[in-house]
Amino acid sequence: MQAPDGELVRAIAGRAPDAPDAETELCRRFAPRIRLYGLRHLRDEDRAGDLVQAVLLAVLQAARAGRIADPERVDRFMLGTSRNVAQRMRDTDARTTGDDAALAGIAAPADEHERVDATALARCFGALDERGRQVVKLSFMDECTSDDIAARLAMSSANVRVLRHRAIAALRRCLDAQDHRQRQQQRQGQVDA
Amino acid sequence: MSCAHPIAWDTLVDYWARDLGDADTAAVEEHFYGCGDCAAAAARVAAVTETLRAALPPVVSRARVEQLRARGVRIRETTFAPGDQRDVRFVADADLLVHRLGGLDLTGAERVSVRISAESTGALIMEVDGPPFEPAEGAVLVACERHNVAFPHDTVMSVSIHVPGDAPPRTATYTIRHLYE
Repeated sequence: MQAPDGELVRAIAGRAPDAPDAETELCRRFAPRIRLYGLRHLRDEDRAGDLVQAVLLAVLQAARAGRIADPERVDRFMLGTSRNVAQRMRDTDARTTGDDAALAGIAAPADEHERVDATALARCFGALDERGRQVVKLSFMDECTSDDIAARLAMSSANVRVLRHRAIAALRRCLDAQDHRQRQQQRQGQVDA
Repeated sequence: MSCAHPIAWDTLVDYWARDLGDADTAAVEEHFYGCGDCAAAAARVAAVTETLRAALPPVVSRARVEQLRARGVRIRETTFAPGDQRDVRFVADADLLVHRLGGLDLTGAERVSVRISAESTGALIMEVDGPPFEPAEGAVLVACERHNVAFPHDTVMSVSIHVPGDAPPRTATYTIRHLYE
């Protein structure tokens, strides 16, 4: 069973022998969540990566100094820090934030997020029905709200949302199926070899 | 999944579509910051939606083409006249094809619409209403990325030019067959 977040924060604050491992584990747990926040609010993979580094550095520095008042709720501290740093990045239109030397010193986890094959996604997109394709294109390529799309396609906003939920679910299933087939082929290739 | 109250799929899709209010957006974030399972579920939705977002729209402006060129994207641009039926090769050293659908009289145009279908089957591939167009060039620029290999290679592209008033739109058609290297 893995240690709770609060235990990791206390190990870091107390300079316990396992503090470096606790820092690594805390970074491993939260880096993907901070990246998601960055993607959503900064709209850019590189800037999301910068946010991960800057937030982890700020939180680790606070943990080492014993400044996290409620270690059990370090997730709230991470989110609050993410909001503040992202806002600063938006205000200054900056890519990197913080001290580069200090950033280099933190146990930044490997970037392990899923990378979708654009050709596979295009194939899946082509398999959607016409309405699904329209709603997905307008939502994610043209950045239209469900109200805008509803007006253009003469349907209700609720209907647009339902079509979008189904279309994204269909794309996800299609990508998973393609990935599964590819793995099977790779395994078969290894057996044949 | 071990989360007792997982974030619903529909909510995650609305979150990534940026179609949730501020309070609901904050609630989603508070949840996934405290829950590894839901963060993983949010990442599975984001992998789809953010890859879609990163794709170029099918019709682009001249300014966007020049922006991409300045960023080092290797662009091969081909000009077509209305009624043309031609092959275009997606050569290995190109990142992007731009089909310049030219010969259009865009004087007084209110908007254009572009319909792309398969030549052999007539199946609709994409329909774009109100994309950018270039009055000075008399052209519409269609961006073709390498992942479009997943779509039919034989395409008919129809550009309809809408003018104010009751006049029917003027339409020009181009048949473009893609050969991928």
